[in-house]
Order: sequence, then structure tokens, then C-alpha cells
Amino acid sequence: MATLADSFLADLDELSDNEAEIPEDNDVDAADMEEDVDGDLADLENLNYDDLDSVSKLQKTQRYIAIIQKVEEALKMGSDVSTQGVDLEDDPEYQLIVDCNALSVDIENEIVIIHNFIREKYRLKFPELESLVHHPIDYARVVKKIGNEMDLTLVDLEGLLPSAIIMVVSVTASTTTGKPLPEEVLSKTVEACDRALVLDSAKKKVLDFVESRMGYIAPNLSSIVGSAVAAKLMGTAGGLASLAKMPACNVQLLGAKKKNLAGFSTATSQFRVGYLEQTEIFQTTPPSLRMRACRLLAAKSTLAARVDSIRGDPSGNTGRAFKDEIHKKIEKWQEPPPAKQPKPLPVPDSEPKKKRGGRRLRKMKERYAITDMRKLANRMQFGVPEESSLGDGLGEGYGMLGQAGSGKLRVSVGQSKLAAKVAKRFKEKNYGSSGATSGLTSSLAFTPVQGIELTNPQAHAHQLGSGTQSTYFSETGTFSKIKRT
Amino acid sequence: MERISIRVPRKKKMSYLLPHLHSGWAVDQAILAEEERLVIIRFGHDWDETCMQMDEVLASVAETLKNFAVIYLVDITEVPDFNTMYELYDPSTVMFFFRNKHIMIDLGTGNNNKINWALKDKQEFIDIVETVYRGARKGRGLVIAPKDYSTKYRY
Repeated sequence: MATLADSFLADLDELSDNEAEIPEDNDVDAADMEEDVDGDLADLENLNYDDLDSVSKLQKTQRYIAIIQKVEEALKMGSDVSTQGVDLEDDPEYQLIVDCNALSVDIENEIVIIHNFIREKYRLKFPELESLVHHPIDYARVVKKIGNEMDLTLVDLEGLLPSAIIMVVSVTASTTTGKPLPEEVLSKTVEACDRALVLDSAKKKVLDFVESRMGYIAPNLSSIVGSAVAAKLMGTAGGLASLAKMPACNVQLLGAKKKNLAGFSTATSQFRVGYLEQTEIFQTTPPSLRMRACRLLAAKSTLAARVDSIRGDPSGNTGRAFKDEIHKKIEKWQEPPPAKQPKPLPVPDSEPKKKRGGRRLRKMKERYAITDMRKLANRMQFGVPEESSLGDGLGEGYGMLGQAGSGKLRVSVGQSKLAAKVAKRFKEKNYGSSGATSGLTSSLAFTPVQGIELTNPQAHAHQLGSGTQSTYFSETGTFSKIKRT
Repeated sequence: MERISIRVPRKKKMSYLLPHLHSGWAVDQAILAEEERLVIIRFGHDWDETCMQMDEVLASVAETLKNFAVIYLVDITEVPDFNTMYELYDPSTVMFFFRNKHIMIDLGTGNNNKINWALKDKQEFIDIVETVYRGARKGRGLVIAPKDYSTKYRY
């Protein structure tokens, strides 16, 4: 028994071993993935560190130092560009520009990190300041200026902030709950501020350099979107060559930020616009046309980038022509539609009528002609009141229909063409009797006077034609009343 | 003494949209020269209220009718040549001519020579012009207006 139980246990152990191994692998994978995904979050976690150097490492990197040095040299040399005709990709200056673009993005991120560091430290001294001064660089400057001073009237913020903001800041400072920082923390904070300012000036230098060279690297592109945006586009795309290879719809999205709209509509948020929204053309376009303008801008800047990538037009004329074209198009979109002219009527009877008389038309008219019964109902005899559906002249009047004298309560339908047609079809189906007259017709008429009249149906046939008794105007009347004897 | 000023409401004047004829000769030429189209002439004064109403209608249909009718305005003070011939004593008179022939219309008013009141409805005027044109093309000197304008129906 024991051996059996032991063996079972051993089996179980083996099983559990296997199971334990697999989840471990999963965990490792998940951890890897987390690291990949949360690369940015790792920076945020670092913010709690006390040491500034562990937070911002960029300034110490070899790459940063090398690029800044090169940029400074290049700026000193000025813009005497002697490398015309050399293939662009091999040009060292071109490589430098591409590096600069990447570096400027990194510097931007670094400034945000340092800003968070400063806020963390300075919150103890002046908690409201971060909500009053949003811009990282402004914030750093103000922090550096104020330091541990409690009475803000002694601090001159003139030139750092707009006067209205200075007023608000000094008023808030008088009621703040903050306490002065310990000396050690303050020195760290000020050091961080200095670093942020240095990074900012470095970034400006880099961008100035790139912009100054954009006129040489991509004259057409920068004349459409401006050198700053052109530099950003090239930086994000990874160089002029790859920008030229990119379709316009992707150029439009370069630099587009993923926005979390929290379930709100994407209709009004400039959702799919990247760096192109910073262009002067985009900003001067009315909001309703911006998406359209952006597409146009992307298309034209792609074309310009292609021209630039083969150095097709170093003078930038192509780009300027494109820009004019874009301006003209956007202006044209805003024009009101042309006024609608009233359409003149055609000359009457200028064309012959399409419809002609003929057998077919005549037949149709016959088929749909007004019936004798309707004719009678529409007619009134002079001096004789008509019968009506509700009596005493109320309701629908019957006119001459069913009046005592006429003996015609029921008008036997004459042999109309339509009836003949129906009868023929009826006969074909082998129904009923052979005669054309239906078995329901009779010459007996029940009048409202409650009498039975036996009349000759033919006697009043003439009267159908006209309402009036054969007068001068009646159809049955003759021209002369005097009968020839 | 107190002065009383009466404010007269300003009316729209549409007469400036239509061509004016400034002499008897011009009127004659306008009627004579037009071969294919009806010539419609409004005799009266631009400042007259009845004329203003009529001009409003005329100006609005001028473009619509331009294929078969042309509309002119004549000031009867500036051009008095036709006043006796056409008995122009109404505030506004509209007459129709086709190939140098005056076309009469039976409007039911008793005066078959002219429309001597202001029509208010554009479509009615267009209908009258079409009828006149049809009749005139067939060589009729008198056409019957599609609608009867006799006072019988008004009162």
C-alpha cells in the first residue's frame, strides 16, 4: 500500500514540477513585456529618487556631448556650405542633422523628467506654484529665482513671467502653506533647475542649427512647411530619403500624438494631425477646412521632399510654387458657390408635340370617357329639384338621375368599348349566358314616388345627350322648329 | 407754427434692373427691330407705386422670359409721343407687340389693348406672355388671357 501511495505521490510531484516550470516561463515573458511596454513608466518611477544624476542621464552620454560639440563647431563656422553635389546621404553634415533631430526629441523628454523632479522637491516650499506656472522652463527659472525666500515682494520676477502671472504668484505666495526647504534639498533643486535651463539652451542651439541647414538640405520642403516643421518631419521620418519614400497619408500623421479621449468624440479633436498642424498654412486655415488643408499640405510636402531628396531644385522655387498653389486652393474653397441663375423658359411651341392623335389615343379616350350616368348626375333640369343622398338637398346630389319624369333610375350601361372588351374576355372564359346583356337588367324601374313605371328604354335615349329639352341649343333640336310636312 | 413732416415709407425700386427707352424713336426701333421675340413695354413712371409693383414682377421674370420676350420701360413724361395714340392715362400700362404689330389680349376687363393695373403674381404674368406669344406666332391679333380679370369675380 505504502509503495503504491509513494509512487502516486512521486507522480504528483512530477506533475507539479512540470506545472511549476511553465508558469515561471510565462512570468518571465510577462516581465519582459512589461519592461518593453513600460519603458516610459520606468522614468516616472525614478522620479522618487533623491539623486538628480540617477534621474537625468542624458547630459552625461557620449552621444549628447559629441553632437552638441559638433553643432557648436558648425554654428561657429557659419553657413558656408561647400558640399554641393555630394550625395546627400553621405554628407557628414546631413548625418549630423538627422542625429540632431533625434537628440532634440530626447532633450524634450529629459526636460519633462527634470521638471517632474523639481516639482517633487519644491512642492514642500510652494505647492501652488506648479498650477500657476505650467511651462517646465518657466517653472525652473521661477524656482531658481525664488529659492527659499518667503517674502515674494523681495523677489523680482520681472522678465520671467507676464506681469499678471507675477501678481497672482506673489498673492498666492503670501498665503501658501509651504515651509522653507532644508539647505541640502534646496541646493539639489537649484541644481536641477540649472540643468533644465542648460538642456533648454542646448535644444535651442540644436534646433537653430537644424533650421539653418534646412534651407540647404531641403529647400523646397522648408519653403512649404517652414524649416522648423521640415526639420521635425525629417527627424521623425528618419531622414530625407525615407521621408521621400513615404506616402503622403503617412506624412500627415508624422508626429501625431496618441490621445486618450476618454470616450469622447473624435470629431472635433484634431485627431490625425501630426507636425503639419504647426505650419503657418494650417494655422491660418479656418477650422472647418483644416483636415482638407492638412491632406493637401501632406501631399505637396511629400512631392517637395521627393524633389529635395534628388536635389532637383536647390533654389526652392518648386516649393514656393507648391505653397502658392496651396494658398490659392484654400482660398478657393472658401469662396461662396456661384449664384444660381434663373433658368429661362423654353420658347412656347418651339418643338413639335411628341404625342399625336390616332387609333390608339382615340380608343383610350373612349375607354375612359365620362359615362352617361355621370353625365346625368352632373346635370340639373330647370325648375325641378334634384334628389340627393340624404334627402332635402343634403348630401350628394343626383341631378337628373332617377327623376320621376325621366323614368331612368337605373341607367343601363351603353355598349361601351371597355364593357365590350370585358365581356369578350368574360366569354372566353366560358362563363354565363351568350347574350351581351346581363340577366340582371330589366325595364322595370322603381321610382322614389313608390310607383312602378314601365317604360320604353329607347324613348329617352335622346335625352341623355342634353339636359335641356330640345331647345335651340340642344343637341336633339333642329335648326328650324317648323317641321316639314 | 408747427411743422408736420410726413414720413413716406421708401419703396423698393426694381426699375433700374430693366432697360429704359428714352425717345419715341428708340421705342419704334425696339418694336421694329425685334424679329423673333415679343416686345413688352411698360408705359408709366418709375416713381409711381403701381409701376413699382409692376416693375417688381417684370424685373423678376425678365430673365425667365428672355428666350421669347423682351421687356422695356418707357417714361410717359419723357416720351409723350404715344400718350394719345395708345391712350396712356393709367398709372401703369403694359402693352405687347410682335413683329411691329400690337397684340390685343382679352383679359375680361373690357379693355383688350393693355394691362392697365399692376399684376402681383409672377406666374400669372408668365402665363399671359406665353399665351400672347403663342397667339402672335399664329398670326392672331387678339388672344384670350388664361385667367379672367374682370371685376365680376372680384366682388
